Amino acid sequence: MREPVADTLEISSAVKEEQYVHAVYNEIATHFSDTRFKPWPVIERYLLALPVGSLGVDIGCGNGKYLGVRTGDIFMMGTDRSSSLVEICRARNYECLVSDGLDLPYREGAFDFAISIAVIHHFSSEERRRDAVREILRVVRPGGTVLVFVWALEQHGRRKFDENTQDVLVPWVVPAESRVEGGEKVYQRYYHLFREGELASLFQQVGGNVIEEIGYDRDNWFVIARKD
Amino acid sequence: MRLLTHNMLKCHVKNCTDPDKQYPLRFKDVQIEQIEYEANEEFLVRMLPRIDWVALVKTAKDLNIAIPDSVPEDPASDQDFLQSLHTIIMETHVTEGSMVCDGCSHEYKITKGIANMLLAEHEI
Repeated sequence: MREPVADTLEISSAVKEEQYVHAVYNEIATHFSDTRFKPWPVIERYLLALPVGSLGVDIGCGNGKYLGVRTGDIFMMGTDRSSSLVEICRARNYECLVSDGLDLPYREGAFDFAISIAVIHHFSSEERRRDAVREILRVVRPGGTVLVFVWALEQHGRRKFDENTQDVLVPWVVPAESRVEGGEKVYQRYYHLFREGELASLFQQVGGNVIEEIGYDRDNWFVIARKD
Repeated sequence: MRLLTHNMLKCHVKNCTDPDKQYPLRFKDVQIEQIEYEANEEFLVRMLPRIDWVALVKTAKDLNIAIPDSVPEDPASDQDFLQSLHTIIMETHVTEGSMVCDGCSHEYKITKGIANMLLAEHEI
């Protein structure tokens, strides 16, 4: 029950994401947010190195943990598909709105940079993951950079995955003490686990960018790319 | 939602493609709140190229907010300009109301300072 299981659901990508991603995050938002407070070092380093005056967007910003890493001399706004998570950001005085990563409401080249941390592994087909990367790059100006993190198939931490199963349902357990109704509840979230090289390949397929860094950190693959 | 954010938003309904009409979105029945935010002049000067000034002027005038028609030649040395820029884009928040597209009439709602930019399936 607590172990990840292979995704064998016979439903469309959009319905799968609605039921096994969007609905789950709306339900677990508060507990999820309470467990997400420490910025990852690679992301912090990226944000701290940006030039003064940079304007950026965090796509799939969750509870906004990266929106407050650097304030004053740069500005970041967030967007998330989960209205419950956006409400948490708003309550923390972060600039945030509700939108879909496949269909962002921003004009082309609006931002100097964009980050998308642990988000596009929730899109359940390669085409949709590629479209998500394309959309992130679209809203950044030529010369701007993007940083994308996704869960790795090759994890060395507490989670272990079958190397032959990339599409999985991963349990999220909300303990009894975190639920008003009492009693523990287990939710399943859909993930596509990225193999080494797979994220970079999406950037190459989309084109119009140069990959500046590829790395592995905290059970995730990441790419930093500069838009042409 | 700050006016800075609004300056980045455009209508993204699938068949709405007239660039003169889908941007900027027009505010309708809005409540405005001024929320103090610490100004950073270097940020403002360097970020200025990201702002679509024509769109910002149009939006500010719609909301009866005073704004210079054009950006001064040397904004870095114009304290009054930077102060009013800061007030407009960083401190002026729309808390309730909606944003309407002049191209396709789609209305995006703003509730408790949060814009909902999701579209129905047939609009994507």
